[in-house]
Amino acid sequence: MDREDHDTIRISLDGEAIDARPGDTIAAALLRARITTFTRSIKYHRPRGPFCLQGTCGQCLMRVDGVPSRLACKVRAEEGMICERQNGPLGVDKDLFRAADFVFADGLDHHHLLTGSRVLGRVAMEIARRLAGLGELPSQAQGPIPAELRTARLVVIGAGPAGLAAARAAGNALVLEKESAAADPAFASELMLGAECVGLYTNDTPLPGNALLAVRTASRLLGIVAERVVVATGGASQPLPFPGCDRPGVYAARGLLGLPMRVGEKLVVVGDGEELIDCSSALERRGYVIESVLDIQKVQPVRALGNPVRALDTSLGERIRCDAVAIALPPAPLHELASSVGAHAHWVGRLHGFAVQVDADGRTAVPWLFAAGRVAGLDAISSGEAAGRAAAK
Amino acid sequence: MTDKAIVCACEDVSVHDIEEAIARGFGDIESLKRYTGLGTGPCQGKSCESGAMRICAARGAVPPEAQVPFRARPPFAPTAMAQYAGLELPARDLRLAAGGLKPTWGGGPHPLQPRERLPERVDVVIIGGGIMGLALAWNLAGAGAQRVLVLERGYLCEGASGRNGGGVRAQWTTPLLIELAKESIDFMGHFAQELGINVWLRKGGYLFLAHDEETVRRIEYGAELQKRYGLPTRVITPGEAGEIVPQLDTSRFVAASWNPEDGVVFPWPFLWGYADGARKRGAQVETFTRVTGIDVGFGRVLGVQTDRGRVTADRVVIACGAWSPTVARLAGVTLPNVPYRHEIVSSEPLKPFLGPLVSMLGTGLYFSQSMRGEIVGGMGDPLEEPGLNQSSSLRFMTRYSRALTELLPQVGKVKLLRQWAGCYDVTPDHSPVLGETPGVTGLLQMSGFVGHGFMMAPAVGRRMALWMGGAQDEIFDRYNLRRFAEGRLIQETFIIG
Repeated sequence: MDREDHDTIRISLDGEAIDARPGDTIAAALLRARITTFTRSIKYHRPRGPFCLQGTCGQCLMRVDGVPSRLACKVRAEEGMICERQNGPLGVDKDLFRAADFVFADGLDHHHLLTGSRVLGRVAMEIARRLAGLGELPSQAQGPIPAELRTARLVVIGAGPAGLAAARAAGNALVLEKESAAADPAFASELMLGAECVGLYTNDTPLPGNALLAVRTASRLLGIVAERVVVATGGASQPLPFPGCDRPGVYAARGLLGLPMRVGEKLVVVGDGEELIDCSSALERRGYVIESVLDIQKVQPVRALGNPVRALDTSLGERIRCDAVAIALPPAPLHELASSVGAHAHWVGRLHGFAVQVDADGRTAVPWLFAAGRVAGLDAISSGEAAGRAAAK
Repeated sequence: MTDKAIVCACEDVSVHDIEEAIARGFGDIESLKRYTGLGTGPCQGKSCESGAMRICAARGAVPPEAQVPFRARPPFAPTAMAQYAGLELPARDLRLAAGGLKPTWGGGPHPLQPRERLPERVDVVIIGGGIMGLALAWNLAGAGAQRVLVLERGYLCEGASGRNGGGVRAQWTTPLLIELAKESIDFMGHFAQELGINVWLRKGGYLFLAHDEETVRRIEYGAELQKRYGLPTRVITPGEAGEIVPQLDTSRFVAASWNPEDGVVFPWPFLWGYADGARKRGAQVETFTRVTGIDVGFGRVLGVQTDRGRVTADRVVIACGAWSPTVARLAGVTLPNVPYRHEIVSSEPLKPFLGPLVSMLGTGLYFSQSMRGEIVGGMGDPLEEPGLNQSSSLRFMTRYSRALTELLPQVGKVKLLRQWAGCYDVTPDHSPVLGETPGVTGLLQMSGFVGHGFMMAPAVGRRMALWMGGAQDEIFDRYNLRRFAEGRLIQETFIIG
C-alpha cells in the first residue's frame, strides 16, 4: 500500500467521519476504511459493494451532498462531502428488510404474487410501493443549467487506442473521452476530457449535419451536430453469474487495477481468455497474492462465501480462501450508442457480448456512422486507422 | 444472504428468474427484459445484457440469428434533468422526414417466427396483438366456441400497448369515454383474480392542471359532466393541489381538476394476462407473424394473407392502433386515422413521493411515479409531423426536462435513465372508430383511441365481443367509420401527451 504522506480529506458516511486521500474517489476512500457494503439491493436488500469500479455497473450508488444515486466509484472525494447509503431502513449494515432475501429464497415472482385475493393483492401493492426505489428526492431544487450547442465535422467517441488511431488517421476530429485522461493526446485534433456521449440521434435540427450528439460533462450538457461519427467506446467489465457473485468483495479485475491501493492481500481471479491471463499477471504486479486462477472453460466458480467475500468454492470441490475475488471476462462491447441509431450488433461468443457490424472501412449500416476497436470486435489500431481514413473522406 | 446467482444486480434478477421466464415463453430478449426487468435499472443493461444472452443461448431459447441485443435506449449514462433542460435546440427543420427504427435483427421475417403452419380456416382473425385485440380475443373465446386467431407482427408489448405511461382515468369530456373508462378501471381492480397476473393498479388519482382561464372553463365543464356520471371529480385551488403534491410550484397554474379514483397500472402484464387467458380459452395468439394482405370479394372479407400463409375467416378485426390505416389499406379501405409519435422517458428509481398522475393541460406534459419508483412522463410536441415513427429525440428530452423542472423544481438533479417512443392513433374528432366497415361486410374496425385505448380496452373488448355475438350496442353505430363521411363528429377534448 502507498505509505507516502498525503494531506487528508475528511468526508462523512452516514454521519461517521472517513479519511480520504487527494485524488481518491468515494469508493476508494471507503474501501481504504474497509467499508465494503455501499448499499442494499433493490428487491431482496442484499448487501452490495462496488463491482466494476469504472462507472458502468451501478452497484455503488450513494447519496452524495443531497443528490441521490451517484456513482461512488466516479465521484472524487472532497473535503466535507456528505455521503449517505441508500435503501437500508435503520442503516445499511443492519437493514431490517434483508429478511426479503430469506423469505423469497427462490426468488420473488412479483407477477404472480398473491393474485388469488383482491385484498391481499392490495396489501402486497402497498408494501411493494413503499419498498420501491433507491434514493430519496434531491434535497435542493435545481433549475436548468445553461448548455452549449456546436457543430463539428467529425466526432470520435472514445480516446482509447482505437479512437486515437481513428483521430490520427482522419487528421482532424473532435475526440470525446469520458475519463479525465487520455492515453496520448498528442495529435492535431481537439480532445475533450470528462465528456461522455450519452445519446446519439439522427440530426433533426436545422443545423447542417447528420448526427446529433448529447454529451454530458461534469457541469453541463453539450449538443453537437456532426457530419460523421466514429464510435470507439470499447467495452465494459462484466460480472459472471454464480451463487453469491453479487456479494461485496467480488470486483472486476480491471476495476481493482484502477484503484490507488489494494483491497486485501489474497485474490482469486476468475475469467476467460486473454483477459484472464493479462489481468492475473497485472494484479500480481500490483502486489496481490494470486491464490488461484480459474479459467471458466475448465473450472466453474460454484459459490462465493462471506460478507465481504472470504472464500470461493469451485466445481472441483475446492474451497479457496481469499480477501477478494476478481472477475476477468472480456469487456463486453459498448454497442449501445451505435445500435441505438440503427447499426447492427451481433453476438460474438469470444467477446462475451454484442459487437457492432462493420465493413473493412469500419462503416456500419448507417452511412455516417463508423465503429472501431473492441466495440466492433476488432483490433484497435488497424480498425481505428481504417475507420478514421474512411470517415475523413 | 441466500445463494442467488444474480445476473442483473440493478433489478435483482437471478439465473433462476431467467430460466422461469424462458419456460413461460419469454425467451426473446425484448420479452425477457420486460418480464424480468433486467436491463431496466441504473446501469441500463451494460452489465447484464451479455450475461442474459449467454443463458438464453445456452438453454437453446433463441437461435443464433435471433441473438441480438435489446433495443438500446438513450441516455446511456444517467443524466440530470437540469442538464437537459439547459439545452435549447433550434426548432427543427420540418421538411426532414421523420426517421423510423430499423429492426434489430436486420430485416426479413423475424428469426423468432414460429415454424408451425397457421390454421387454414378460423371464425375470427384479429390483426394486432395489442391490448385491444387481446382483450377482444379473451372475451370472444369466453363467449362461445368460436375459433379466434390473433396475429401480432412483433413480440407482445412491441406497439403502443407496451409503450404507454400506464395512466388510467375516468376524467373525460364525452359520456362514452367516461363510461368505458369506469368499467375498465373497475375490471383492472380484479384483473389479477380473473387473469392470474398482477397489473398493480394504484389509485393515486389524476391531477389536471389548468394554466389559464379558458382551460379552467374546460375543467369546470368536465367536472360537471363527470359528476353527473357518478365520478368524485372536483375543481380545486393551486393550494389544495399543493397539499396533494407538495413539490409542485403552485404559481404555474390557476386551478386543477382532481379525481382521486383515477390511477396508474403496469402496462406489460396487462397484455400477457389477456394473451395467456385467451390461449387458455382456446384462442390462438401468434407473435412475429405479419399480415401482408386482406382478401376481399363480393363486398365481404374472405380472410388474410400472412408471411406464414393464408387464413380464411368470416370476420377480420383491425386492431392495429396507429398501424390501422396501413392495414386497412390492404383491404382497399381508407381510415381517417393519422399516426403521431409521442415520446416518453423514465427517471432513476426514487422512493415514493408522488401519488397522482399530474398533467398540465395545454402543454401536454404528464408524469407519474411508477410502482418501481421511476418518474415516467411525456409531453406532446406541436411540431411533430405525422408518421409511424418510434425513434427517440434529444429535442423531447430537453423540452420535457424544462417543463417538468419548472413545475417540480426539486427534480432538477434527478437523472433520466431511458427514453422511448410510441405512436398515437389520432382521429379527426379524437374519438374511436368501431364496428362494421361500409362496403366490406365482416371487416371490423377497433382503432382510433388517440393514445388512450390502453385504459379503455377491458370495456371495449367485452362490448365488442357481445356485439359480435349478436347483441345490440349503439356505440358500434355511433362510432362507425361512416360518421366522417356524414359529418357527425363526436369531439373529445381531454387529450394529453
